[in-house]
Amino acid sequence: MCPVLGHLDGRFESADAEAEHRIAVLYQEFGGPLLRHVRKSTGNDLQWAEDVVQETIVRAWRNSARLQWEPSLIWAWLLTVARRIVIDGRRRRSARPQEVEPPEVDMMSVPDGSERALSAMVVADALRSLSEEHREVIEQTYLRDRTISEAAEILGIPPGTVKSRLYYGIRALRELLRDKGVAG
Amino acid sequence: MHDEVAAYVLGVLDEDDHEAFERHLDTCERCQAELVALAELPDQLDELRHASSTSDDDPPMSMSH
Ligand SMILES: [Zn+2]
Repeated sequence: MCPVLGHLDGRFESADAEAEHRIAVLYQEFGGPLLRHVRKSTGNDLQWAEDVVQETIVRAWRNSARLQWEPSLIWAWLLTVARRIVIDGRRRRSARPQEVEPPEVDMMSVPDGSERALSAMVVADALRSLSEEHREVIEQTYLRDRTISEAAEILGIPPGTVKSRLYYGIRALRELLRDKGVAG
Repeated sequence: MHDEVAAYVLGVLDEDDHEAFERHLDTCERCQAELVALAELPDQLDELRHASSTSDDDPPMSMSH
């Protein structure tokens, strides 16, 4: 049983009180780390990051069976839920006119001297050393905020092929980054 | 179904597939383990988005209006 939310049953006078308590505990346990994490994806937009964390916590509360998972899995799931919410928000924003196309990896400018630039360079190198098929599906999905079916249409291959190439591509990328001591 | 874990962790599954995979995740220990292993990889890919803006003061390009 997860130490975070175990042993609460029967201690509350009403379901509402228990729900409120569970949400408070979730915030206490995950709110801070999650906010720091999400802020990296929302740039300087703190309000947006706070909204994302709030929605993530509410979804976690609605899926409370998952809070029995071990903490590393809960954390991985929360990160994934939050990321999906950020991507949905970004897709809504970019659905407005004047969408800006992300540059190709080769064209990206990498300013000297910052740690972030260095790690961007390591990731770009790793991406370049993947096979064309693997790199292409990563670029056409995640890096352009496109879904599997959108990328499949653009690439002219079945959605199942995009998913499968993504799987092997992402695993290969993780191995490459781990060899370079970047992945956790 | 197992190979959808990569698309899931990247947040790029279409809505129906996303919901189906969420249910799959409840019982599939293999995908749970892969989720833990891959959970922070998308953040590393995000470095590429940040690096492409010219300075820290600029909004990320994907947020440009
Ligand atoms: Zn599975």
